[in-house]
Amino acid sequence: MSDSIGTPVIKKDHCDKISGRALYTDDWPMDGVLYGRILRSKKARARIVDIHLPPLPEGCYIIDRNDVPGVNRVHIVKDDCPVFADDTVEYIGEAILMVAGPDKKETGRIRDSIEVEYEELEPVLDVLKSEECFFEYGCSRGDLDAELERADFVYEEQFRSGSQEQAYLEVQGMEGMWQDGITSVRGSMQCPYYVHRALAGVMAVDEDHVRVLGEVTGGGFGGKEDYPSILAAQVAVAAKKTGKPVRCVFERREDIECTSKRHPSLYNIKAAVRDGRVTALDVDIVLDAGAYTTLSAVVLQRAVIAAEGIYNIPVLKVRGRAMKTNTVPNGAFRGFGGPQSFYALELLFDHIAQKLGRDSLEFRLEHCAQKGDPTSTGGIFHFDVPIPEMVEELSKLCGYGEKHKKYAAEQSGRYRRGIGMSLFYHGAGFTGAGERDMIKAVLRLKKNRDDNVEILSANMDIGQGLTTTFAKIAARELGLPLDRVTVADPDTSFVPDSGPTVASRSIMVVGELIRRAAARLKEQWVSGEECIVEERFREPDFVLPFDPERFEGDAYPTFSWGVQAVELETDTLTGYTRILGAWGDYDIGTVIDENIARGQMEGGFLQGISYASMEQIPADKSGRIRNSSFSDYLIPTAADIPVLETIFHPVEYSDGPYGAKGAGELPTAGGAPAWLMAMQQIVCRELNCIPFTTEDTLRTLGEVSE
Amino acid sequence: MVRPENLNDALKTLSRGGMTICAGGTDVMVYPPENARLLMVDRLPELKLIEDLGDAVRIGAAVTFTEGIESPIVPELMKAALRRIAAPAIRNMGTFGGNIGNGSAKADSVLIDFVLDAKLELASIRGTRTPDIDKFYLGRKKLDLAPDELIAAIFLPKPKGSWYYEKVGGREALAISRLSFAGVIDVRDGVITSLSAAFGAVADTVLRFKELEAMLTGKSLDEARAMKPDFIAAYDRAIVPIRGRVSETWRKEVCLNLLRDFLSQNGI
Amino acid sequence: MIEFVLNGEKVSWEGPDTERLLDVLREDFRLTGVKCGCKEGECGACSVIFDGELANSCLIPMAKADGAEIMTIEGLRELDCFRVLDRAFAEPAAVQCGFCTPGMVLAAYSLLKKNPHPDENEIRDGLSGNLCRCTGYRAIVEAVKLAAKEGGKW
Repeated sequence: MSDSIGTPVIKKDHCDKISGRALYTDDWPMDGVLYGRILRSKKARARIVDIHLPPLPEGCYIIDRNDVPGVNRVHIVKDDCPVFADDTVEYIGEAILMVAGPDKKETGRIRDSIEVEYEELEPVLDVLKSEECFFEYGCSRGDLDAELERADFVYEEQFRSGSQEQAYLEVQGMEGMWQDGITSVRGSMQCPYYVHRALAGVMAVDEDHVRVLGEVTGGGFGGKEDYPSILAAQVAVAAKKTGKPVRCVFERREDIECTSKRHPSLYNIKAAVRDGRVTALDVDIVLDAGAYTTLSAVVLQRAVIAAEGIYNIPVLKVRGRAMKTNTVPNGAFRGFGGPQSFYALELLFDHIAQKLGRDSLEFRLEHCAQKGDPTSTGGIFHFDVPIPEMVEELSKLCGYGEKHKKYAAEQSGRYRRGIGMSLFYHGAGFTGAGERDMIKAVLRLKKNRDDNVEILSANMDIGQGLTTTFAKIAARELGLPLDRVTVADPDTSFVPDSGPTVASRSIMVVGELIRRAAARLKEQWVSGEECIVEERFREPDFVLPFDPERFEGDAYPTFSWGVQAVELETDTLTGYTRILGAWGDYDIGTVIDENIARGQMEGGFLQGISYASMEQIPADKSGRIRNSSFSDYLIPTAADIPVLETIFHPVEYSDGPYGAKGAGELPTAGGAPAWLMAMQQIVCRELNCIPFTTEDTLRTLGEVSE
Repeated sequence: MVRPENLNDALKTLSRGGMTICAGGTDVMVYPPENARLLMVDRLPELKLIEDLGDAVRIGAAVTFTEGIESPIVPELMKAALRRIAAPAIRNMGTFGGNIGNGSAKADSVLIDFVLDAKLELASIRGTRTPDIDKFYLGRKKLDLAPDELIAAIFLPKPKGSWYYEKVGGREALAISRLSFAGVIDVRDGVITSLSAAFGAVADTVLRFKELEAMLTGKSLDEARAMKPDFIAAYDRAIVPIRGRVSETWRKEVCLNLLRDFLSQNGI
Repeated sequence: MIEFVLNGEKVSWEGPDTERLLDVLREDFRLTGVKCGCKEGECGACSVIFDGELANSCLIPMAKADGAEIMTIEGLRELDCFRVLDRAFAEPAAVQCGFCTPGMVLAAYSLLKKNPHPDENEIRDGLSGNLCRCTGYRAIVEAVKLAAKEGGKW
């Protein structure tokens, strides 16, 4: 149907990117630009006693905390992360100072020759030993004690998950300039206005004296939500001190060692079971926040809200804490607390079903929330929950029922197979009242005299295709050919703050602003005249306003839903497991571009799968990350995922453009539980820890056969 | 940089010292020695040849893995290992000599060199010697290679009988061996005439236990089957894995599992 | 003095033997379509065609480049066959963030040049040294299939 908005088009950034013409941060010429190299802490927790600097050649500079014109803190949610370390360092990789110079190698050599004297302090590396709680959130409904009392039995289990590195192909990079009192920063990022506000505080200037330009960005997945604010502050301070532009582009090892990752988690869950149904859930969540708060508050909120899974349980109590440890700060990673919760809840329900001798999928579907049911925060599922139909569709696509039954029977021979299916959602858009109270998105459309239209937004195309999908929305509403609509460079000196590129909000929230602006522009259209139309975020009328103090109300206006299946085959001689296939069915509302949406679902799904299997961030006793290179930190190759299929089950959303809702993060939530359930069929044991490695597999097979 | 025209010139240059030998570059460039002067042997004609010597193949040290895979005379066992090395771009540059010279027990082609009793051709202006591969590896990253010597070629005997190969990495491609195993067995008229088994990525060097292999040599399949538990137990005692990113326990267990399977596949 | 042919042109360069071809291409020849992702041959973003073969330019010392023929994405995009790859990658939207793309296209080109009609496994093996974190690879594999079907003077 060529008339459907979902009909794929050639992506607007395709030509530049495939031809190698697209310029990423480090692709711009270095004319007159200094290289910045950051000296980082080698200790997980220490007081800095002294720093011995070598003699500096002409034209080289040292930039440290004393050079910060404003506060030596980067504003993210709280303001606790220093631009450059004060007297203490809190994790291995924390920035102490920067060396800036005209020669790349020389600058690196100077940095490496600096000696730091530390007075070591006892670090907290184990989250269970942490006594410092950064954040605590919770929600509840009903009388938990009474329900636990009444239960036929109370099922208890603990679930653990590890860390995960975003592993965007383009490392973090930023260039700062300082001229005539204006601080400008350009670089790889998701949220130009986050960077903008952080810079104003660090540089002690008002926001008019800051300019941030988002460059072509080689992937983010959340990793470029918080960290760019830190790096931007560092290069901005350096640029002011040196009077020259300063560029800092990380090495891969540096990027893995010092930038924020997915929070490791520990879930302790009690479930009351009565008359064959789960009647109460008591969920205690501990997230390892790392050394600074960065985005932990919001990640924790999402984890807490998703701690009921897709289910509606009469009695609920969730308590979540984000605890400080002396490890690299954890922050945003696609799914943002959701993947931890869905992994734990899917496995929990699966295990309770086993205990009851029930079919896992059937049992889970019986508990699935429906339209009109309450959400964990006392909001409402306002729209249809299509999970049952999606389960049916996906089962048909991948032959789930048959395979699941076949693999449940005893398997002999060297190779064993398993299949698992996960049910999950993603709360679409910013959590809680953020969209209404904090972000307050503004979007402009600018019609030029040549009757071409520019979309002025601060959202970044980090690969998810916004320059194309945004333009498709405006072009459709205006009835213009796609090539007459472009998305302007995200430069804070001329685009309004349409909010960060996070939370799967861009299409649903900003896209809807674009659609509304375009509708108004169409009404006002006068050929040959310039015209600017502005739209501002309005909370949809049906929303039960979220009260951040009481943690109550609609945390999200709507939800995107997903069902994923993973089929595995394990070599029982080695424990090595390969993926036979991965299938996903998604309700992201109306699909704005079938190719782009499919690309999002597939990439996110694979990240979810490898989160459970090959991606590991082990640390040694000193707290140093051991897998800091691409030869040790493994992400899947083209050979690792032979079959990856996607179907859509669109349930239109009233307040998204043409019915679209959040998409990007959804697919990452289901990969781990589907993978682990498939693995359970192989090892014939209930599992509750990810990543589950080749070694774990072989060990478990051995234990089970004994 | 010196790029000699022929092997003699290369050896002369090498004898004068101060040079780092480079063929594919895939190892030396991971941590490039900043002021090193490179002796480029990647196009030396003498090092690029693959020759069929009847019972063996002589593979020039600068032959790339891709060239090995594409050659009609390189044994299939070696090709099986070559195909599992990293990915095409690395296989296009990486060489047989470099894989050996790197000294790693994880080197995928070296496992096959061990299991097939390869000999190396080491050349210097002083002459040529041909040590057995297992004598050449002295320990972790320790090689019996004088500063003026160049790995010129590998004499790789063709496997007799049937072979078995398995590599376990962290993923399907672009993976460093976490463990690798190769076995070759020749059975004539129901009697094992030769057997060899090599384990990679387990210890400081590729492991082979010829004295244990001898337990089954000359035995009938029936006898070998009866001896299998003792045979496996002997390997269990002999293999002492080192700890790395994977545990000793896993390494040991997989070694024995694969050894057992290798025998089973061959009727033992 | 190191001399080589770069995208069809004779060029010369002077500097340390162990300088990475990657850095020289990007910094001295301003060929920024060659991307740096890891500097240890594990991601393929810096892929080039080196004497007719796919190679990671981060692992090629300049000494090795001497006398070689090197093609980057900037050279490939001038060839007729690039149009086939361009269309084939566009159709399934195989390009997301784009950082792996030039390397991925060179890997696809190199594969098709050797094997114009690869099967699924051969395609996946051919691309296995080029990491992509965005796509899940399905669209890229499809792109290579489309290019193979269309055919070109590889």
